[in-house]
Amino acid sequence: MDELIKVEHLTKDYGDGRGIFDLNFVVKKGETFGFVGTNGSGKTTTIRHIMGFLKPQEGQVSVMGLDAWKDSCEIKKYVEYVPGEIAFPDLRDGTTFLKNQAELLKITDMTYANYLCEKLQLDTSANLKRMSKGMKQKTAIVAAFMSDKDILILDEPSTGLDPLMREIFLELLEEEKKKGKTILMSSQMFDELEQVCDRVALIFNGKIIDIADMKILNNLPYREYKVEFKTREEYLKFKKLKFEIVRDQEKYNQVTIKIEKTKINRMFEILKNYDLKFMSEVKYNLEKHFKMILQKEDELLQEKKRIEKLAKDHTPVIKNTLVRRIISKKTQEQKKEQKKLHLELKNEKFFNKDEYKFHKKEDKKQDHENKRQQKIKEKKEKEGK
Amino acid sequence: MFSKALFKQSMKAHWVKWLSVTLSTCIMLAIVIIVLGNLGINDIRDSLQDVFTQADQESVLKENAVDGYEVYLTSVELEGTLQNADESMLKMAYPVLINPFNTRVNAYKEMHDGQEPEGDDLQAIILASAEEVKAIIGSLGGEIDIIKDIPEDMLLGFLVEFYNVYNQNPFSQDDEQFKDKFVSVIKDTYLNFIYTNAYNQYMEQEGATVEIAEYSAAQMKTIITNAMASYQAPVGEFDREPYKAKASEEINMMMYNVAYQTIYAQSIAGGMTEEEAQTYSGQYAVASKVLSNTAISTYELWLNELKDVEDAKTQAREYAIQSITDQIPEKVAEALSELGNMDIYSFIIGSIFYRIAGLLLPMVFVIMTANSLLAGQVDSGSMAYVLSTPTKRRTVTVTQMTYLILALFSMFALLTVTSVIAVWVSGGNSFAINYGQILLFNLGAFLTMFAIAGFCFMCSAVFNRTKYSLGIGGGLTIFSLVCTILGLFGSSVVPSAMRISAMNFFNYLSFITLFDTVSIMSGGLDYLWKFGILLGIGIVTFIIGVFRFDKKDLPL
Repeated sequence: MDELIKVEHLTKDYGDGRGIFDLNFVVKKGETFGFVGTNGSGKTTTIRHIMGFLKPQEGQVSVMGLDAWKDSCEIKKYVEYVPGEIAFPDLRDGTTFLKNQAELLKITDMTYANYLCEKLQLDTSANLKRMSKGMKQKTAIVAAFMSDKDILILDEPSTGLDPLMREIFLELLEEEKKKGKTILMSSQMFDELEQVCDRVALIFNGKIIDIADMKILNNLPYREYKVEFKTREEYLKFKKLKFEIVRDQEKYNQVTIKIEKTKINRMFEILKNYDLKFMSEVKYNLEKHFKMILQKEDELLQEKKRIEKLAKDHTPVIKNTLVRRIISKKTQEQKKEQKKLHLELKNEKFFNKDEYKFHKKEDKKQDHENKRQQKIKEKKEKEGK
Repeated sequence: MFSKALFKQSMKAHWVKWLSVTLSTCIMLAIVIIVLGNLGINDIRDSLQDVFTQADQESVLKENAVDGYEVYLTSVELEGTLQNADESMLKMAYPVLINPFNTRVNAYKEMHDGQEPEGDDLQAIILASAEEVKAIIGSLGGEIDIIKDIPEDMLLGFLVEFYNVYNQNPFSQDDEQFKDKFVSVIKDTYLNFIYTNAYNQYMEQEGATVEIAEYSAAQMKTIITNAMASYQAPVGEFDREPYKAKASEEINMMMYNVAYQTIYAQSIAGGMTEEEAQTYSGQYAVASKVLSNTAISTYELWLNELKDVEDAKTQAREYAIQSITDQIPEKVAEALSELGNMDIYSFIIGSIFYRIAGLLLPMVFVIMTANSLLAGQVDSGSMAYVLSTPTKRRTVTVTQMTYLILALFSMFALLTVTSVIAVWVSGGNSFAINYGQILLFNLGAFLTMFAIAGFCFMCSAVFNRTKYSLGIGGGLTIFSLVCTILGLFGSSVVPSAMRISAMNFFNYLSFITLFDTVSIMSGGLDYLWKFGILLGIGIVTFIIGVFRFDKKDLPL
């Protein structure tokens, strides 16, 4: 019973490559699980399956151990839902709607609902049809949250909310989390998922490409810094050092380096000797993480498309040879580029061996120093005991 | 299986629509029944029917005139026959006629110690004797022409009359004035027979009263008495010629008198003042006289031509019974008589209001409501709020279905009340449409709407998009209504002058055809099984809708 929501091999093919394909994931009790993906990638379809509105073509969805399709009514006793598309029943105003909803939910005590309205600064007496998008969203949130159930399923719950209201909403989510509720939410805002979620799944073209654990992502062993030098000489000089360069922008004399957390101090030492225009940390966040993955995915997709197009234009017999030729051509090009780079580095005029050696020595000295100080600390601790 | 909260939500969402449709349909119905009821739109029918009855009356009058004329002349001839009858011949006929009666009377006397037969006993004896004589009269020679001339079906009546007269005034073969007595009994019998005949003939006519019948019979009797008295023994064989003018005049006068009396009595009973009645009946009487004269002249012409009384009578009668409708082309006559028989109230209330005009607004209500109860909410996404609570899909469909049926039912309940009140205001059961029929109309309209509601509900449950639900559910419903309108021009309720029978094809495309108002008005039972089918369509489509909604994908 620890796995409150379990999705296994879930498939729904709408044709033309749309739909969701072989989704697998589990949301554990008390966990906040996020969904992120481009428009039409299948987030809402997945959520609709969990709510039991859609029947899986293949695979299975279970909530609290119950089949989401067959026992969809039973599941609703444990699930609150904020739909992605906000459209209210044909009723006069927000108050009538919330009362009606309370009746359907068999709630008689409205204190929690009133607390939610107050917190979200929602005026329920407004006409439902004339509400702004944000107001509608707030009404939908109150309508879902007021039943105070164990599982929250939120489909892009913060769309339409102004930044201040979003903060309040996230606070509200934190409160719910503290109560031990299990939350599944989809969103297009990386920052809010980062703030709230324990794990975030990236859906792309109906497939889960990656599930990121926020704990790991927040505690990465390395950092990235972007550095711009005032002169080209210095830029080139710095490049010769053995730093891991992630991004190189020659035009602006900029480099982005990746460095282990423990070595940050030493990096600053070295940079002291350079004339810098600016320096800033490039945070490695969810957005960056997924962008990278998506880029790779996109490249793969483009390549696949190109091959498919070629294959379409030619007969199957030629197809294989063509594909092989393309691949071999590509590898040849890559090799050529690498050689070029090597040559450039060799012919570099400002290549200074001594300086490089100095830095190496300094590094060794630093290591010794660290080791010595550690030993001293250990001694002191022993003496203290 | 039923959610009160959802039911309330549906009521709140649709009550304005419901109220406006119900009220406007009720007002429409009240106007149709009350206002049209007081306008007297059946006047055309009534006046056409008047024309036809008048034509019938005319032909009867002409026939009577010819008959009377012929009776007049025959009577004069009979007088001659009787006056010139040979006494020995009469004496030969006497025992044939009288003996069966006398034998029975004597037998009766012996049995009852010399008492004369009276009352029922006498009538029994008379009837038995008459039957015996009737049986043997065929074998008689030319002894009594008068008796032999009487048609067979009247013979028995004549003989009964004869014995009645004889019983009051008996005479024997040995009497000094045997011939006079015999002839007078025959004459009395004849005159009484004429009287009874005239009386019966008049009583067969429409609107006859005993007073007028007696008056008319007495008139006839007087005329015939006078006719017989006017007989003058000719030199040779009997000649009708000298009596014709007098006969014609007398009969015409009688027709005048009878018509005057008849119409006068009717006019006074109809609420006319005495003066008006006099003028009116005077005009009518003159017309009758003219008609009678025409009929007799025609008869005479035919007689001259054909030289045979029966043939001439047949021809004259055929001419006489030709009414207005016989003189115009058959198709036009048919159309006219149909127009005369058409009941414009049941046409407008049944075929126009309950099947077309009165259904339109409830139809719009049903199309819109059925759509927004399921498909509309699924399409917009608001159904998510209901289904994200512990409410089964089955509960949703059953609740919405209940709402739709109850809304329709209450709408037609109010419509029924309105229609019953309107009929009551228009004169209750004396109105062209009685309470039973108006209740059946309402029931039929409700069942039709029930079937339509089921169909629209099914579409709403099957489709996720409003455009399909409205397009197919509403589209086919409106198509059905339009087909009913077009089909009306081919249906039998429209007079043949306006009917295009090919248009009847449209009636097969519409399920409103199953609401058979014609059968309800004509009192048949055809409408019952058609009602059954409508109910069946409704139930089946509702059930399909409920089950389909359980199993489909919802984009919420």
